[in-house]
Amino acid sequence: MSLLRAALDASAEVPFVLNTFGCVRRSSILDAADRLKQQLADRKIQRLLLQSNDPAQIVAALVACADAHTDLVIAHDYLDRGLIDRVIEDVSVDAVACQEVGHIRAVPGAGGSSEPASGKVLLMTSGTTGVPKVAAHTLDKLLDRIRATSSVESNVGGRWLLTYQPTGFAGLQVILTACLTSGSVVIASDRTPSEFAEAVERHAVTHISGTATFWRSFLVARRGLLAGGSTSPGSLRQITLGGEAVDQTLLDRLAAAFPDTRITQIYASTEGGALFAVHDQKEGFPAAWLEQGVQGSRLRVVDDELQVLSPRKMLGYASGQASPISGDGWLGTGDLVRVDQDRVRFVGRRDALINIAGSKVFPNEIETFLLSLPGITEAKVRGVPSPITGQAVLAEIVVEKGTDAEPVRRATMQSCRSQLARHKVPSMIRVLPAIEVSPSGKKA
Amino acid sequence: MSEEAVLARIEAAVGEIAESKGAAQPKVSASSRMLGGELPIDSLDLATIVLRLDTETGQRPFEDGFIEFHTAGELAKLYSQP
Repeated sequence: MSLLRAALDASAEVPFVLNTFGCVRRSSILDAADRLKQQLADRKIQRLLLQSNDPAQIVAALVACADAHTDLVIAHDYLDRGLIDRVIEDVSVDAVACQEVGHIRAVPGAGGSSEPASGKVLLMTSGTTGVPKVAAHTLDKLLDRIRATSSVESNVGGRWLLTYQPTGFAGLQVILTACLTSGSVVIASDRTPSEFAEAVERHAVTHISGTATFWRSFLVARRGLLAGGSTSPGSLRQITLGGEAVDQTLLDRLAAAFPDTRITQIYASTEGGALFAVHDQKEGFPAAWLEQGVQGSRLRVVDDELQVLSPRKMLGYASGQASPISGDGWLGTGDLVRVDQDRVRFVGRRDALINIAGSKVFPNEIETFLLSLPGITEAKVRGVPSPITGQAVLAEIVVEKGTDAEPVRRATMQSCRSQLARHKVPSMIRVLPAIEVSPSGKKA
Repeated sequence: MSEEAVLARIEAAVGEIAESKGAAQPKVSASSRMLGGELPIDSLDLATIVLRLDTETGQRPFEDGFIEFHTAGELAKLYSQP
């Protein structure tokens, strides 16, 4: 019996999904898994694709595919038909599960996979910039880090707010963690800050994992709820941040808002798997880890880029792109870091680097500065083409509710001019009602 | 936007930059050379001015590549609507 099935079996009557309409129990997920398993066996399916945002269906498919040794491709629901068809062809999918995982339809003319199926789990990158890459993992490795922490008492029986796209690496980690710890996944009726805050209250959520962008918007939405006479969500036991660089200002604000809650930063990626967690409420991670390794992974910095040697890394891309993992197993993360004495800090993504007349600027550094200024609740910095300097720095900010935007904008520009290096001063600061967020919860 | 109107926008932008640097308010005319030393701006400031003009006029004269200009008048002409 697979570990996942055993975990669901052990607490069969505990609700797994909590949403506005009610709950889904583990027993009904196991029933759905059994029906699917039968179909997979009868029709000799090698590689199944599921396109669903429903955690219950995702888990049912994971259990069934593990039992039947069928590979499972978990697809984002926001991808259009054309992209899905590309993926189906690229990774040799031979059947697709529709709305109900009990119903599968064969892919016409599927030639079958060139490699034998073995119950692998294939996860997509976000695909916001074209055809998504598909990273092959084993279920065992995906559960590896969760298994290690599942016995921690404060994690057992938790109610986890699902802030991430359920089909992405981070979302799946939350779903699997709830599975292994007799926990429940809480689904907000809409993926907006106010609905998230509402769901936290309604279901007395105990664990929330989200991006830095999620947490900033959550703090704002929660303030709205508190101002409306609502009680504080005192149920929260665990705050987890991942997916984006985290600034000290945010960590401090979270600690002030939730003084009794554990705050963890997690570093993970679709390609590298779950890598490590930081609990000391300081941005970045201890430089000693570059020497000692951490939680089974080894870390090094090459040309300012963080590279990792991870026991939980993907097997490779099933979608044919060149692997970012070198022959000796090291993965370039694309995250650029700076080592300051005993701390390693993230300075930004390599592909987000802005070049201003030959000088490098990291959006993240300027965003961090902007977020430390009064009156600003969110900030996004990017490079825009300039005929004069190649690129120019454009900053977009969201100001605190009820504040007059123009004075904040002017004061912000003044602060930038007086405190930032000349080439880092935004050429333009725009005030927006909100910063756009991608399906993965990061700033778009 | 007419050439004169764009020129006024350039003067306002240069004035704002001068103010932030604590420099005297310069007079900008069509013949003022943008990076010739007579205005208190450098190339980073010019990039800012161009970005502002993009936004304020809705025109993107440099979209397909750089077009040479030297004076405020030449820049204003690029952004003016025929």
